[in-house]
Amino acid sequence: MKRKIDLFPYTLLTPALSVTVLIIFFPIVQTAVMSLFNYVIWKPKDTRFIGLGNYLQALRDEVFWISLKNTIFWIVGVIVLQLLLGFVTAMLLNREFKWRGLARSLILIPWVTPSVITALMWRWMYDGNNGVINDLLVRIGLLKSYFPWLANSSTALPAIMVALMWQGFPFFAIMILAGLQAIPRTLYEAAEVDGATRLQMFGRITLPMLTPILLTSILLRIIWVANSMDVIFVMTGGGPGYATHTLPVFAFIRAYKGLDFGYASTIAIFLTLLLIAIVAGYVIRVLRSQEALR
Amino acid sequence: MKRASILILLLLFPLVLFATGQDEGQMATIRFWYHFDNPDAAVTPLVQKFEQENPNIKVTPEFIAWDVYNQKLLTAVAAGNPPDVSQIKLWWQPQLVEMSALLDLSDYVADWDGRDDVFDKIWELTEYTDGNQYLMPLQMVILYMYYRTDMFNELGLKPATTRSEFLDLAKKLTRDTNGDGTVDVYGFGIRGARGGHDWWGTFVLSSGAEFFLPNGNSGLITPEAVAANQWFIDLYRVHQVSPPTTPNDGFQQIIANMQSGKTAMTIHHIGSSKGLAEALGDKLSAAPVPKGTKKYWTSFGDEENGVLAATEFPDAAFEWAAFLATAENNAIWQKSSGQVSINKSNATAGGNRFLKATTDSADFAGVLPAHPGTAEFVESLWPTQMQRAFLGEISSAEMMQIFADHFSK
Amino acid sequence: MRRRMPLWRRLLGLHLPVLIIVFFALGPYIWMFISSITPEADLYGEVFRYFPGNPSFQNYPKIFQKISFARNLRDSLIVATTTMLVGLAISLTASYSFSRFRFRGRNYLMIQFLVINMFPIVLLLIPLFVIMRVLKLIDTYFALIIAYSTFTIPFSTWMMTSFFNAIPKQLDEAALVDGCTRFSAMTRVIVPIAMPGIAATGIYIFITAWNEFLYAAILTGNKVLTIPVALQNLIGEYNIAWGLLTAGGVISVIPVIVLFFFIQKQLISGMTAGAVKT
Repeated sequence: MKRKIDLFPYTLLTPALSVTVLIIFFPIVQTAVMSLFNYVIWKPKDTRFIGLGNYLQALRDEVFWISLKNTIFWIVGVIVLQLLLGFVTAMLLNREFKWRGLARSLILIPWVTPSVITALMWRWMYDGNNGVINDLLVRIGLLKSYFPWLANSSTALPAIMVALMWQGFPFFAIMILAGLQAIPRTLYEAAEVDGATRLQMFGRITLPMLTPILLTSILLRIIWVANSMDVIFVMTGGGPGYATHTLPVFAFIRAYKGLDFGYASTIAIFLTLLLIAIVAGYVIRVLRSQEALR
Repeated sequence: MKRASILILLLLFPLVLFATGQDEGQMATIRFWYHFDNPDAAVTPLVQKFEQENPNIKVTPEFIAWDVYNQKLLTAVAAGNPPDVSQIKLWWQPQLVEMSALLDLSDYVADWDGRDDVFDKIWELTEYTDGNQYLMPLQMVILYMYYRTDMFNELGLKPATTRSEFLDLAKKLTRDTNGDGTVDVYGFGIRGARGGHDWWGTFVLSSGAEFFLPNGNSGLITPEAVAANQWFIDLYRVHQVSPPTTPNDGFQQIIANMQSGKTAMTIHHIGSSKGLAEALGDKLSAAPVPKGTKKYWTSFGDEENGVLAATEFPDAAFEWAAFLATAENNAIWQKSSGQVSINKSNATAGGNRFLKATTDSADFAGVLPAHPGTAEFVESLWPTQMQRAFLGEISSAEMMQIFADHFSK
Repeated sequence: MRRRMPLWRRLLGLHLPVLIIVFFALGPYIWMFISSITPEADLYGEVFRYFPGNPSFQNYPKIFQKISFARNLRDSLIVATTTMLVGLAISLTASYSFSRFRFRGRNYLMIQFLVINMFPIVLLLIPLFVIMRVLKLIDTYFALIIAYSTFTIPFSTWMMTSFFNAIPKQLDEAALVDGCTRFSAMTRVIVPIAMPGIAATGIYIFITAWNEFLYAAILTGNKVLTIPVALQNLIGEYNIAWGLLTAGGVISVIPVIVLFFFIQKQLISGMTAGAVKT
């Protein structure tokens, strides 16, 4: 009896594992190995093993540190914005009203729009000469004249973050909405009988029961946001200057513009290490909280 | 037992995919990568014509989006699966040659009877530093200066022929047209994002800056070069003749600004003339760029076909590239590309004002050095450092030093 | 018995906020639609216009005739649907394992799934391209389905594990007591209750596959042409075909919204209430 149960989970896991190992694991190892070499594609004769040379170079590179700083700001800002808006949306869309189905479907639009179109549309909306955002702000009176949002090194990254908030809040909305369905109504009804306020119900029932879903969604989203670079690249190309350089943008530019795959691989490894550091705390908590629910 | 057999089957399955091999017949198949701006443009008529004339060769054209063209080509080359013929931008040539990715076409070209019908200048510019010819001509444009005739007439101005005249013009054109206290029109739209190095070249490479001096040292860090660069930076920072959005303005933005009347002048080429003329009609014209303190410099924008070294059918590949470079076919190609033919026999005396500005600039059009570092300079080094200089984060000297260091590697 | 809120409170506290959020989500989309019916010569006028003077819908038939957009819709649908089905099947079984069983290497495997996804995919391109080339899968549906499965399965596994964890284990045990096998306990009892989570995960996989550009552009592009790549083809070196691009953007969103309209009906609560017999 015991042996049967022991094998079952492994059987279920085999398909997922084998695909992942073959398709992702090998390329990752290959890239990690590349980071130990001086490997510039158009200087094939210069290729040689340099151990941690690329890593030391990165630590001395001011662009690396700027990108790192931007990446942290980027991750924190985007997650907070997406999470807050997504949470509020989920709570609202959980209530019953006639056009709920339509509303739920429509808020999906930002998530479904192809990234390149999102980037181009937002870039145009932010345009400092012909953009609708500037026009609206001037009409309302918040601005005196058009402002070059994407050409100013202080506003470029925050401006892109707003576009990312638009793009990503539906993810949180849907996941949290699904999570809300698992909370038994009886809990709320019992609390109401006991005289609890809405706020108390939210804090004592909703939040704790949502915690596993929240933690997992945030975890996954952090990883996704940290790696995303297509919107940034189309909107500003990493500029002006280094203002919107994040680690993945930097790695991409080094790889495909400078053809320095050795160095680009190193930056990618750094990004992975950064993510591991950020999520380590989370992961341990999640794994523990999943046990706690037993 | 059952599980084991399933496992074995799973492991054997991939081999099935290998079993279906390729049958090489007598037919040569050429994979051709290309890109057009106009999605309507079809290369099919040319392919059909070619296949009729060459029954043993089949051409499979593949449209590749411009944004990923370079990336996709590099990936394919690095992974050992490149096309047979591909459009190649001139500044990709050094890297590809260093990677041994391009086939040397020198012998083919020497024997080619269409050779003399191509402008000599093009052979000159596309030959690689090792003396070999790796590229077949395809299309060309030369950058000129667009200007708003209505604004010029309003203020009684004429296109500039020197750099100082130009600055004067730009300042006069930068003005408040509706009396609300803010500047509504800027004299000159500078492209500060990727691709704007041509603007820079016109004013900096013409006025004392050289990538390499005859003795091999960098000509970018001489006092004269730094001063020329400073002059260019000052257009934005001091004289403010270009819009505040300049550091992030790409091609779309400078054209939009011309169309909406936000800017009075900008630099580009005949490829954009159709759309702009449709919107602005007679209010738009073009003239060659002004002369710098030393000479004229404008960018010779071109694109060629290259044959990839990994091709299995080099003869057929060259046939296709040569076909496209032959006058009759080249003219058909330009209808889709919107650019200028590279054949002498296609050069028309007439043509519109944009073609005239193009041909008037032909004598002094130049290209960036054939150096492996040029691709990175164009794609990321120039835009990033130019933006930093525009924003005041680095000085002109520091900017030029970064460039000099890059090319000395 | 809950007192029904007065109408004005419902308007202010529910309908208005939802309307604002929906408008925020729709705003750029509406702007996209307006651009698609604006003739290109009028896109940048001297005066800023919110609506074109002479709108024209010609881009919509044009996009189907000139660039065979119908085929792109088909390719995207095939890839996204298959990826979703494959991904759900695999991650469902994997998540059930992670959620219900304690076995050696469980935590290690879960962390592995996470770490694998932390790597910037742009750098995995060349090795992946080589693998696909060796398997002769370049420019096939398989290439994308496999590639997309690799990064959606780990994420979906994590998501579904947390959804499964919200369902009390007693339900499984009750089913076993009633005579189910492990497998039918999973399919007959747990899966129906976990439908909201499964629906959410399914739509996540679908949208990720529908939207993905980089792998599609590099691994396919001619025989298989999904929507993001087709739209990118409209962005040229010197010219963006704005009219067609925005029309394409407007259309590409519709199939997913319609699909989700039916799926979202699964996002209802009350399945677990009273399910556990005390």
